[in-house]
Amino acid sequence: MLAACSLFFLTIILGAASRAKPTVFIKKLKNKHYQLIVERKPYIVKGVCYSPIPIGGNHEYDWWSDTSKPWMIDGKMMQAMGVNTIRLYQTHENTEEVKTVIRDLYQNFGIRTILGDWLGFWEYPCPFYGDKRFQDKVKASVLDMVKNYKDEPGVLFWILGNENNYSCLGAVNPWSSDEIDKEPDPQKQKAMKSEVYYSFINELSREIHKIDPNHPVAMGNGELIGLDAANKYCQDVDIVACIIYRGKTFGNLFRSLRMTFDKPILLAEFGADAYDAYLKKEDQNMQAFFLESQWRQIYENLANNKEGEGNCIGGTMFEWSDEWWKHAPDNPDSWKAQDTESNWTNGSYYFDIKAESNKNMNEEWFGLVALSQEQEFGMNKRIPRKAYYVVREFWKNPTLEVKKKVKK
Amino acid sequence: MKKYQRVFLGIFLALSSLLLAHSLFAEEKNPAQASYELALDRYNHLKHLEETQSWDEYFAQGNDYRDQIVTGVQKAIEATKATDALNIQARLLSWQFHKDQQDAFAEQALIDLMSAVSEYANTTGNVTLIKEVADKLSSYQEKRNSRELYKIYVAKIINVSAKDEELLKIAENFYKEGNLELSETVYDAYLERLSKAAPEKLIPLLTGIAKQFAYKDEGNKDTLYAEKIFQKIEDLGKKEAFDEHLMYSRAFNLEKAKEYSKAKDIYLKLIQDFPSTLHADEAAYKAGLISAYVLRDKEGARGYFEKLTSREKDISPQVISSFYQLGLIAQWEENLDKAKEYYTQLITLAAGNFPETTAAANQRLKEIEEKKALDYNTKLFIDLALSAENIGSNMSKSELKASLYNLQKGQEAKISSEAYLPASGCMQIELQYLWSGDTGKNLPSVMAPSFNASYNEPGTKLIGLIVSSSSGTVDRNLDILDVR
Repeated sequence: MLAACSLFFLTIILGAASRAKPTVFIKKLKNKHYQLIVERKPYIVKGVCYSPIPIGGNHEYDWWSDTSKPWMIDGKMMQAMGVNTIRLYQTHENTEEVKTVIRDLYQNFGIRTILGDWLGFWEYPCPFYGDKRFQDKVKASVLDMVKNYKDEPGVLFWILGNENNYSCLGAVNPWSSDEIDKEPDPQKQKAMKSEVYYSFINELSREIHKIDPNHPVAMGNGELIGLDAANKYCQDVDIVACIIYRGKTFGNLFRSLRMTFDKPILLAEFGADAYDAYLKKEDQNMQAFFLESQWRQIYENLANNKEGEGNCIGGTMFEWSDEWWKHAPDNPDSWKAQDTESNWTNGSYYFDIKAESNKNMNEEWFGLVALSQEQEFGMNKRIPRKAYYVVREFWKNPTLEVKKKVKK
Repeated sequence: MKKYQRVFLGIFLALSSLLLAHSLFAEEKNPAQASYELALDRYNHLKHLEETQSWDEYFAQGNDYRDQIVTGVQKAIEATKATDALNIQARLLSWQFHKDQQDAFAEQALIDLMSAVSEYANTTGNVTLIKEVADKLSSYQEKRNSRELYKIYVAKIINVSAKDEELLKIAENFYKEGNLELSETVYDAYLERLSKAAPEKLIPLLTGIAKQFAYKDEGNKDTLYAEKIFQKIEDLGKKEAFDEHLMYSRAFNLEKAKEYSKAKDIYLKLIQDFPSTLHADEAAYKAGLISAYVLRDKEGARGYFEKLTSREKDISPQVISSFYQLGLIAQWEENLDKAKEYYTQLITLAAGNFPETTAAANQRLKEIEEKKALDYNTKLFIDLALSAENIGSNMSKSELKASLYNLQKGQEAKISSEAYLPASGCMQIELQYLWSGDTGKNLPSVMAPSFNASYNEPGTKLIGLIVSSSSGTVDRNLDILDVR
């Protein structure tokens, strides 16, 4: 009898355990809004993209093994600002070092980490998403990441890729396959590439869910480009992580997403630079102006704000600190000086659009903190920009200007 | 902040405070009006802070001001009906605010505004307010809605304006003001009134309107509206309606509207109806250029050029250029003897009078003599225009325009291009600009999307462009200028 009772209760306990909610998951509310739930509580991602490259280094710099532990200084400053999440584009080959960073940030400052993988986007000659061997290689890299870090309490979720979808249009890192090459119509070629790419992302999502039911999978995507195809071929991702540079706000982004691919959205990369390319001087106010306005719209579209779309779960601003190598990645001499020449143009950032050739986006000036040549704690001193304080104040008191509905 | 900015800001803040005090005082008399004025004041002030980059107050007070705008507008709307001017003003402000904010409420605010204005217009609406709303919508590029309100406005004016002449005057005045959208709406209403009039009365009126809107380097123009009026003239079926100048004006207008196929047809009709027109050579040459480089009709183009080169006297710039075009096509076809023949004939006939075209012909001859390939940019431009496999390169992914199309010798025109690329986010795509044709004395750089062109000899000039990226050709384009 005792044995039977024990077996009965064990079955109940095991059954309950098997039905336990994941640590992190997306909850769809009755009003069709989406909420990110972390350890049973709603979680707004108040994040930054994190790549602490020191002056003189480039993207190959191994900051993970930096004995001065830049993330500890940064983590303290982030915590004071209100940041609760960092986004890492790619992990590092030394898993213990990666775990140290994740644990240090989580245990000391309560900051969680979103881990990503480039999905071979920057491989030479190009990312052959239609090639089985290439897919297997990428899949192995992604699943290794998940296996290595899924049990880290500081991990928030996974992001697959960044703006890889642009490669399906042929303008950036173009790729193809024999079958696609046989199709003479360029529009059909693009559709075929989108099918291949988003089907592959879907397969990766399924595989991740099998080995890690505790963390959602997000798909990095440049703008909303290609999401009609994602709607067909990529329903197993949990979150769309969009890279958006639309200036003051995100326009109709949230509604458009709801119409094309009804998934929760993380603004995975957005922000503004702090250099006026027209007046040729630093302008911290300009950056603060754009970021405050962008966060206001993010908050308008969080769950349970009845006036918004309710499909936003937060954002990770680009980026925590300036990176001095970005304008000329192949010229080490230029990494020692902060370049003021612009790399690209974007009319939505209108204050300095009259710059020569309209090139107004200064890639090396996107940091919420500037880097100083002066050393402090064994690293470049961090100098918070105005945006650091303005966003901090917004997060403390996220006033939304529209609270009441105007009479029809 | 500079001293004068501080002074200006001080004055502005003092005036704002006075206005606010006035608004609060007025609230005792008319709360809805006072709420609206407060909201308007805050809206203007917030814009001023952004424009003057007065960030301290912007960041400190911005949220309060936004709240006051929304609350003030809401109070004004709730206290009034759509038949009140204040209701319309408040709704307009509400839409402007949300539009500026680029938030999700802008769409609904616009629907509400349009519906309220429609109701307002049906009752006792004053036309000035309707026009103010339409003007504001137009300035925000909400063309469909502004046109709708302009129509309502014009219908109201017509009701109160008894005479046709007054209507004509109103249309002309809006044209002079640069409000072409409204001017066209009034002209349309005016022409509708006269739709039953005799062609003899209508044609001079239509001609005047078409000339007014047709392409010219300076002044207000709307090439598509002009063509709409030209078409009305043609539809009247009176052959004599078009004299050679009006027909040339129509063809030139179509050419500048990039309606090349129809432009070619009208140029050919011009030659047919007025064989001795001063524009005959220009028209025939342009028919050749359009045939070759737009319509991909090489043989047709050859026919037009050959007709010009068969002439033995009155050697115009277009005759000389036709030899050059025939030479180019032959050289591209690798019929080098024929090409050499055309270039040599050109140089002989030019007799030193056409230095730029002669220099180009000499350069081509040198290529042939030295057994070198045709200049890369020129060859690629012709490849994309004439080879069947390049049909996808159809000038839809790029734009090319000039600041002036009728130049004097030595006068400069800025030639600028724009390429419409697939989205690439913050990954900037480096483009190359392969210029060819009559680029004038300034040789544009391969990295330059624009350059200043000027010419030392008269004639019709063809500028060719290929835009390319690391992944291949983006598109080709062309533009045609006339040096008089």
